Amino acid sequence: MFVENSVRADGFEIRYLEAGDGPPLVSLHGAGGLRLSRAHDLLAGTHRVIVLEAPGFGESPANDRTSSLPELAGTMLRALDTIEIERFSLWGQSFGGKLALWLALQDPERLESLVLSSPAAISDNPPPYPRPEEMASILYAHPDRQTDTGSLAPDVDAKQRALVGRLIGPPRDPELEAAMRTLEVPTLVLFGTEDRLTPPELGRIYRALLPQCHFVIVYDAAHVIFADRPEAFAAIVTDFVERRAEFVMRQESGLLYP
Amino acid sequence: MFSIVPYAGQHTGRGWPVPADGYSAEAAQASMERALAQFELADQLGFDWVTVAEHHYSAASLTPNPMVMAAAVAQRVKRAKIALLGSNIPIQNPVRVAEEFAMLDTLSGGRLIAGMLRGTSNEYATYGVNPAESRERFMEALELIVRAWTEPQPFGWLGRYYEYRTISIWPRPVQTPHPPIFMSISSPEAAEFAAAKRISGGLAVTTLDRARESVRVYREAADTHGWEPAPEQLLYRIAVHVAESDAQAREDWAPLAGAHGHAGGLRLSTGNPAADEAATRAGYYGRDTPRQRSRLHAGGDIDARLESAQLMLGSPVTVLGQVDRLRRELGVGILELIFIAPGPDEARRSLELFGTEVLPRMWEL
Repeated sequence: MFVENSVRADGFEIRYLEAGDGPPLVSLHGAGGLRLSRAHDLLAGTHRVIVLEAPGFGESPANDRTSSLPELAGTMLRALDTIEIERFSLWGQSFGGKLALWLALQDPERLESLVLSSPAAISDNPPPYPRPEEMASILYAHPDRQTDTGSLAPDVDAKQRALVGRLIGPPRDPELEAAMRTLEVPTLVLFGTEDRLTPPELGRIYRALLPQCHFVIVYDAAHVIFADRPEAFAAIVTDFVERRAEFVMRQESGLLYP
Repeated sequence: MFSIVPYAGQHTGRGWPVPADGYSAEAAQASMERALAQFELADQLGFDWVTVAEHHYSAASLTPNPMVMAAAVAQRVKRAKIALLGSNIPIQNPVRVAEEFAMLDTLSGGRLIAGMLRGTSNEYATYGVNPAESRERFMEALELIVRAWTEPQPFGWLGRYYEYRTISIWPRPVQTPHPPIFMSISSPEAAEFAAAKRISGGLAVTTLDRARESVRVYREAADTHGWEPAPEQLLYRIAVHVAESDAQAREDWAPLAGAHGHAGGLRLSTGNPAADEAATRAGYYGRDTPRQRSRLHAGGDIDARLESAQLMLGSPVTVLGQVDRLRRELGVGILELIFIAPGPDEARRSLELFGTEVLPRMWEL
């Protein structure tokens, strides 16, 4: 089970949760903050999963210092230095997906692979940030199946919204997209068919920009794919992180009877 | 014009699956050639569509892969659209279906109508697919097929029933964004799904009362989704026979009432009661099971079939009136006609009469 810890980096006290043994898989949360799920537990069955909380999210003090996502990515890298994670696979969700891209671009040699679920790095027509009362129906294809629908205390919600609004950057960032064309890390990009925040049609842009991108559409999932389809999400992420581009070839036997 | 491409030879098999005892390759070849000639004639007479369908393991139909038949039809039918109703997508590999549809759209110069159906209950015994999962597989497969047609970049699919790590089909469909899709709207679940996805609706193996209810559910659901189906988005499949006079048509059809039509001729779902019973218990027919199953047993004598719109029969003028009734009662803009006659000569005459004396006047209705 996940154990809570914290690490200092760039003067921030950064909370992180850790579980499992195996190759390290670092997780960066979305704009709603750090939330564990069944998918995290499943991933921890095969990997050492380290879930970092970006400074300014959750119970941490408001973050007025970090001025950009690349700067925040640097802070997260220094936190990983202190935890002594050398090489790792990186998974970023939504806002955390954009953060993960900036992190990967700063130190691509350290990355085994990159997983971006519903990344918010590119948007052609960004919808307004959902209001709290509509959040569950936008985040999940089946909110009724969720035990934790992600409602936040009003002060935490306001603090996080302000920080995300300040850091997220433009919907199309030419500097980021130019850099993405050079990123040689094997990358899995996942979008849900029911996602209205980052619709699955965005996946083709990542596929065209990133030299080693695998774009996968997840059926019957909305923005938080790992909550709507935890078993499927954990299975494909595990397989990709372990086998990268080779994951297109099936490994399981189709033999029915010997 | 629809042909299920029945086997024209003699066979002793009853029920489903039909054994191949006494099978004649010559008869099968003649059956296919007869169907192709009929499609060709329909095209020349000005019919808008010709249709093939998927059924397995039965002399009732020689097109288990309607894609193959449609490719042959595309060589003979030069003008009419070529519809497949359907591909039974829950029992197929959806990516393969997307590829074959795209091939057909390319081969036919953009004349494909892509019907997607669940098929009759017996089809689930064909390739060993659990009928309980039919509807969920259908919904997922349909979405995957559309995505395979339209997604410009290679993509993977992480579904509930289907998983592919990489898809990028060639050729692509000619029609943009993709060929028109038709699905059955007979059951309320299907009507609601079609309405939510703005998919055109088809009604087959049904009766006027049942169809009226299906169309009501479809239209109401479409309304809640903010659109209204156009007449060209509603299809009704019906048996027809036209002769010079009403009396002649009735005389032709008298020996057929017992053997043809929904209840008599097909013997697909009804040909294997144990399989249909198992499918029923698995929930294949959905929340409206008694009504859906009753469609398979409609039938009746000629007058009952005329009254319940399972059959159009008579002189061209009489049949035109029957066409008008379906248009008025259901708002359907597409009639898919199965020409059923005592022999090939009567069938040909019936098709010609419809094409020359009914079809041109349908536009005046």
